[in-house]
Amino acid sequence: MIGCTNNPAARRYVRRVAFTMFLYVLFLVVSVVAFTHHRPTGLLAYVLAVLPALPILGMMVVFGLYLREEKDELQRAIGVEALVWSTGATLSLTTVWGFLENFVHVPHLQLMWIYPIFWVFFGISMPMINARYR
Amino acid sequence: MNCAIKSPAQRRLTNRVLGTLALTVLFAVIAGLGIRFGHLRGIPAYLVAVLPALPIIGVIAAFGVFLDEEKDEFQRNLLVQCLLGGIGGTLAVTTVWGYLEAFVHAPHLPAIWIYPIFWLFVGLSMPVVIWRYR
Repeated sequence: MIGCTNNPAARRYVRRVAFTMFLYVLFLVVSVVAFTHHRPTGLLAYVLAVLPALPILGMMVVFGLYLREEKDELQRAIGVEALVWSTGATLSLTTVWGFLENFVHVPHLQLMWIYPIFWVFFGISMPMINARYR
Repeated sequence: MNCAIKSPAQRRLTNRVLGTLALTVLFAVIAGLGIRFGHLRGIPAYLVAVLPALPIIGVIAAFGVFLDEEKDEFQRNLLVQCLLGGIGGTLAVTTVWGYLEAFVHAPHLPAIWIYPIFWLFVGLSMPVVIWRYR
């Protein structure tokens, strides 16, 4: 999908993701510096804490835009199928972990990790689905 | 997913989900009693702790099988879009909450809640998806 550089939708996707990643790094630095040196409190603390999450939400919107703009129906179907598989895998993992947290007190799964875990599963399922359609 | 007119695939999905729900309750009771009174340690404790997660993963699998079996492409698309709405909402909540946990020490959200949160968002996206197709 992303390898097809002559695909306008994929090109736009890569550009938008790069921009949101840049914003993520910027916002994260701002938040970390603010919390380390200025110890904000109240509403400002909440706003600064949520700041790095916003570009991550933006990345999801960017993927949604890609699915809407992609003209190649097969690529779109593969992308959607990979999303569904990674949804199933992520929910399975968090449910198993949740019961382990409950019953045998394994360490708490930091919620921040669920988003990258989802994309790891996406990265695993994408080539498998691609191979099936070949 | 009209309740009145059910395709054979939808009927099978309903039966499978009801079956796995019954198993979830049964396995949760077994796990609860096993951990509390069985004084389990090590691998047996882990196995018993994971037990209630298995039927929940079964529900996810049942939806996957439904997507494979459902002949009506429109119904399949509706469900896929609701599932994507569900995972989008879930990832948004877990990411924002994750940063709040990290920066302002928001209370820990147990991983077990991610699965019901997902279905809550699936339910919320359903009227939006149906409205869009009108």
